Amino acid sequence: MIDTDIIAEALPLLLKGLKVTAFVAAVGIPLGLLVGTLLAYLTLVGNTALKWFARSYIECVRNVPFLIIVYFAYFGLPKMGLMTDAFQVAVLTTGFYTAGYFSELMRAAILSVPKGQMQAAVSLGMGYWRAQRLIIFPQLLGFLIPPTTSLVVMMFKDTAIFSVITLPELTYQSNVVVSESFAYIEILGTTALIYWVSSWFIDFAGNRFNRYALRWKARP
Amino acid sequence: MEQVLTPFMNGVLHAVQATVLISSAACLLGIVLGILLLLARTSPVLALRYLAIVYVSAMRGTPLLIQLLVVYYAIPGMLNITITPVFAGVVALAMNTAAYISEILRGVLSSLPSGQRGAAFSLGMTRWQSWRHIILPQIFLRALPPLTNEFTVTFKASSLLSIISVSELSSLARNVTLQTNAPLMVFSVCAAVYFIMLFLLSSASRRIERQVQVRVGRHD
Repeated sequence: MIDTDIIAEALPLLLKGLKVTAFVAAVGIPLGLLVGTLLAYLTLVGNTALKWFARSYIECVRNVPFLIIVYFAYFGLPKMGLMTDAFQVAVLTTGFYTAGYFSELMRAAILSVPKGQMQAAVSLGMGYWRAQRLIIFPQLLGFLIPPTTSLVVMMFKDTAIFSVITLPELTYQSNVVVSESFAYIEILGTTALIYWVSSWFIDFAGNRFNRYALRWKARP
Repeated sequence: MEQVLTPFMNGVLHAVQATVLISSAACLLGIVLGILLLLARTSPVLALRYLAIVYVSAMRGTPLLIQLLVVYYAIPGMLNITITPVFAGVVALAMNTAAYISEILRGVLSSLPSGQRGAAFSLGMTRWQSWRHIILPQIFLRALPPLTNEFTVTFKASSLLSIISVSELSSLARNVTLQTNAPLMVFSVCAAVYFIMLFLLSSASRRIERQVQVRVGRHD
């Protein structure tokens, strides 16, 4: 019932799509983590205006579907003479969306470290940022890495949405093959499997990284 | 501006209604499926446990868009039936959210003291009785805050149904931009409508969280 020839024929195109998906994720998500960290610190140490800006950015991301933001960027922004290319839109909206969610994770992680740690560091003569880097950051990783891994998987999967703005990523290529061969089960199944394996791999890498980052903790 | 927004405003009530109904239906169905998954996951039968693990992993590892395409195109094609986009959309959303709901419930279940189950057993309750009277009522109260959060996720995700031509809020916005060629305006207003609904939902969720904390605290 399952036609393996069709799968074998479609596989190179699907893997080509996976490359585009992986590239968008590999550029967009780290961009989002960077901006998200910035936003998290803005909500913690910024002045009123900066805090307000960061809060509205975060609420905007959390309360508007990704699809609408992608549509807005792809169909709306070119009217203002910005971002005409599906690829740019994909990377930047991925970064934009990741940042909103990551800043909440980062903020919670920073606040999870007991206040006394910062006070002790400052009383030893460290500055705020030096203490953040050397004292707070290593301690917040245990709180940060597991939910961030979930976020990365979520954003990786969400890149499937870019098929509607004709970015030639995995889902788009899968639709192309399906519209030619009508082999829904074979092609959609293979595509799902590729996503599944990739998500599993991200999860696995996240777990390994978590263990590595917490290696200084005493194990029972 | 008014001219542009008239077609959107004419349809918006109907579209909001569709979005609310679809995501509520998906959520209710998802809770039922989620409980069944949890029962399978904690079942004494090994095969059922593995089935639940694989199902949850597959749902969490593949994009909702692909799941939507599988439910709408692949499965009806295989069974030689046709289903409406709305039905496919609700089923796909429910199947997806069920995986997350079962994990939420499992997390809450593991936080429940194990003595509860032992006590139920020692009182001569059957497995079904102890679930019905002892375990489910307790985990539901505790799971309410993460469940309302999962509902907001489903609510946002329902926007993807526009891709399989379900008429709801996102597809309305998309259609109006095709008519009026004013994507900036239309998508901004659409985003605002989503924002208001989701903001109200997450405020309600925070309220529920506080209430639950008070109640659970009193009972413990």
